[in-house]
Amino acid sequence: MRHGWLTLSTLLVVLGCSTGTDANSSVTITASTGHLQTGVVGTALAAPLSVKAVDGLGAALPGITIDWSVESGGGTVSPASSTTGTNGLATATLTLGSAAGTQTVRAMLRGSSKSVLFTETAQLALLINTLAGNNQNGTVGLPLGTQLRVQVLENGVAVSPPRTVLWTVGSGGGTLASGSSVTDAAGVASMSFTLGATVGAQSVVATVQGTASNVTFNFTAFAASNNPVLVATVPVPANYGHHDTFVRDGIAFVLAWNTGLLIYDVGNGIRGGSPTNPVLISSLVTNANGVSGGAQVHNAWWFQNPNTGEKKYLFVGQEGPGSVGSASSGDIHIVDVSNLAAPVEVGFVHVNGAGTHNFWMDEQRQVLYAAYYNGGVIAVDVSGTLSGDMSSRIIATAKPGGAGNTYVWGVMLANGTLYATDMLSGFWALDPITLTTKGGGNNVPERYGSDQWVVGPWAYSGGWGTRGGVRGNAVKVWSLGVAGGNPVLVDSIIVPNITTVSDVAVTPDGKALVITAEGGSGGAGLYVYDRVDPRRPALRGVVFVAQGIHTGEIAVINGRTYVFAARDPANPALLIYDITAVVP
Amino acid sequence: MNRAGGLLATLILGGGAAMLPAQSGIRLTPMGRAVVLATHANPIPFGGALTEVRVVQPIFILGARALGGHLLGTATLDFESVTMPGGELTPGAWGEGFVDRRHPHTTVHELNVAAVDLLGRLDGRGRLGVVVGKGFVPFGTDDPMSRPISRYPVNHHLSQILERAIAVVQYDIGRLTFEGALFNGDEPERPGQWPLLRKGDGTWRFGDSWSARVTMRPVKGLEVQGSRATAHSPEHRPGAGGDAVKSSASLRWRDTRQWGERYLMAEWARTSELDGFFVFHSWLAEGMVRRGRWAASYRYELTDRPEEERLVDPFRTRRPHFENSNLGIGRWSLHTLHLGADVLKSGAPVNVAVFLEGTLGGVTKRDAAIFDPVALYGTSVVRQLSAGVSFDWRMRGHRMGRYGVLDAMHIDPAGHDMMEHQ
Repeated sequence: MRHGWLTLSTLLVVLGCSTGTDANSSVTITASTGHLQTGVVGTALAAPLSVKAVDGLGAALPGITIDWSVESGGGTVSPASSTTGTNGLATATLTLGSAAGTQTVRAMLRGSSKSVLFTETAQLALLINTLAGNNQNGTVGLPLGTQLRVQVLENGVAVSPPRTVLWTVGSGGGTLASGSSVTDAAGVASMSFTLGATVGAQSVVATVQGTASNVTFNFTAFAASNNPVLVATVPVPANYGHHDTFVRDGIAFVLAWNTGLLIYDVGNGIRGGSPTNPVLISSLVTNANGVSGGAQVHNAWWFQNPNTGEKKYLFVGQEGPGSVGSASSGDIHIVDVSNLAAPVEVGFVHVNGAGTHNFWMDEQRQVLYAAYYNGGVIAVDVSGTLSGDMSSRIIATAKPGGAGNTYVWGVMLANGTLYATDMLSGFWALDPITLTTKGGGNNVPERYGSDQWVVGPWAYSGGWGTRGGVRGNAVKVWSLGVAGGNPVLVDSIIVPNITTVSDVAVTPDGKALVITAEGGSGGAGLYVYDRVDPRRPALRGVVFVAQGIHTGEIAVINGRTYVFAARDPANPALLIYDITAVVP
Repeated sequence: MNRAGGLLATLILGGGAAMLPAQSGIRLTPMGRAVVLATHANPIPFGGALTEVRVVQPIFILGARALGGHLLGTATLDFESVTMPGGELTPGAWGEGFVDRRHPHTTVHELNVAAVDLLGRLDGRGRLGVVVGKGFVPFGTDDPMSRPISRYPVNHHLSQILERAIAVVQYDIGRLTFEGALFNGDEPERPGQWPLLRKGDGTWRFGDSWSARVTMRPVKGLEVQGSRATAHSPEHRPGAGGDAVKSSASLRWRDTRQWGERYLMAEWARTSELDGFFVFHSWLAEGMVRRGRWAASYRYELTDRPEEERLVDPFRTRRPHFENSNLGIGRWSLHTLHLGADVLKSGAPVNVAVFLEGTLGGVTKRDAAIFDPVALYGTSVVRQLSAGVSFDWRMRGHRMGRYGVLDAMHIDPAGHDMMEHQ
């Protein structure tokens, strides 16, 4: 009781009670509710301000008039006066003024000098919203695929000057890259988050420092057992290394730079190989064709002609020296693989002043499409017998971005449209016959482009290197409207701590999106996303590989889904991952 | 004081050289250097400015001489892996996976022995020499560490070949010196790494690269050199990269007087990679005047630099680089002015100097590739300002990377003489 008496006495003093000998000398008023509130400038405080009038014996006094006035802060108090009820209470409502900080209201006992001072705190009207990263799925212990981004608005306008956003883990554990970040000119603050060990719901709270404005991000964490499982490692001589793999009919063509073409049985049966036990069938170093640097075997396509039933030709891309954006070199080499145990180079395609990169085929029409960097896109008639210099078989060429703005990384034919990713000029839709532009293009100005994959009315493309300070750490999500339609950018997946998304592919069942990542400090590796919502793929599994993964070729062998991944130098290798359980 | 303590004291205080017990016939000459340097650079990659303080060029050198000067040895420890593991802030610098930062050198920077005048009087005035060990390849000009300006030029990897396993044959006669060398083409990937002599498959990396240099001294103090080298796969240690064919020509003049010294050097260097697919040029001229305790130096260079894809750390590039990582060629045009003053009296074993150094210039794109200095740095203007204190222990005048018959003790009366000061 002594403690309670002291507290009441202290409050009376603090609130400025007077003890004068006036007409209401026996009346005492004290603050009842509403003192020390915090509210948003220009709005009414949540609780009314009230004082209680009592007589000398402590009994409530009705009918006592209290006059209310704003002393500081510029707000309004209403009503200007009020009368105590039978419980001795008189109330008023304060609408805060426009200035942030302390605001005060005085309640005065009419006819007396006795008063009570209410002190309140006004804060700016800050609104914090989630911009990206909410409702993600991921794997326990692994970084989320998309950075968490909030926007802080003040009265609907990006907050200025910059404000600090405090980030805290709400539930489920996990690690934030930092405890705070600062808003940019658009009022946006970002943060990376690595999920905690708890399977199920996890959350992060973002709060504007010094305010109660906050927003919660919610996530779902899957068990780590969903990660890709490494089932085989096949070292590749460091010469430079391993760039790509083409897998078909249980045969893996490993494209191993100056070590050449390595042909493995990974489930075909001709040598008893399997994904867990690849067996080398043969190898071939293709001709340098005078290109500086040697064979530089980079990519391939095994042509299986539906018209003739032939599985005779393997087209091999040679990637010679180049300067991104302006120069490239290297030919298409044609290898007869009728006898997989004894491949023989039989011809080539050469384009002056340019070098080839990735391939796609219209096997029915017997047309090979090749990305040709600064040479754009070419279409080659590969019908009939192929031998010697096949450069005259080029039936169409195009530079979709125009001269000086074309450096095509990859092509893919889907639903009657040839799609091309240009490192400089974005994602294009081309007519597969004429290679004329159907749509798209100049649609990723902030990043250099890399690989692509098209599935139904959706497409995904990667980023490369750093362009004007923006890393190529994004997978762009494109809506085609209808299958074969023109690309419209609808979303992006940001992959933390990398510079390049070097390969993009979707599993044959369409359930999983697989990307490979390079150039990072901790983020390089193999990422697998589900496509439950094709517009917003959710990360379901990841394997980090310090050197980076350059490409990931998807193949279904004996009912299981594998990724044949090319590990970058040093210590290059073919890594074979089973991803069947990642996205069941 | 015991014998070891006495030797140490003699080494440090007694002019920096000492003789081991007479029966050994070995003279040891220690030297050392370190620079405490504050550098402000503007711009840095992706815009902005950065100021750093580092201890750069912390080295300890031990020279050895035996058999009346017929057997020489050089050992240099470089501690930059400790004092600047992330490199030295230097806009324009590149190499060994660093960019816009000068990379830390290998800890064992030099370690070699040289046999001089192997034929004795059989070849008259001629002197045949052999150098084996680790160190500088006989190519190009002196290492920047032993030149008047602290900042490394952009052309370091065009004008010097360093930290290799070397086998050098030298022949010096009159005013001419001929050198030929075999070495390993790979440059270091990290400070603790040794040159790769032999690969895992048994093939030799040592000997896959060569160099030749002719040095002429037409008059006292003047030196003209021309050199050529082929370094196989310098940026891919296992050897899968192409050849770098390098050429260098230079003129160097040094004149020491009672009142001080004067120095001039002009060089041209060219490196052609992948049969000429990439060609980099450099022109550089620098000079220095020292009068009493004051020294003023100036350098201008116009040097091409390979502009490569950067990692998440914008001061690092991929090693080994992979596929197409070249973004073009930048041409760096830089003026550097150095003003210094000795703090301690000239002639003391340890020389302490304070200096200010400023660099102003620009970078432009030399080809049509995507490298764009304004997009990368926010500007094409390069500014760097440094202030430092250098501590040199008998290093003044030392010419790093010259071994055997080219060791200053034999041929350069104006140069540093490790032995004859005894």
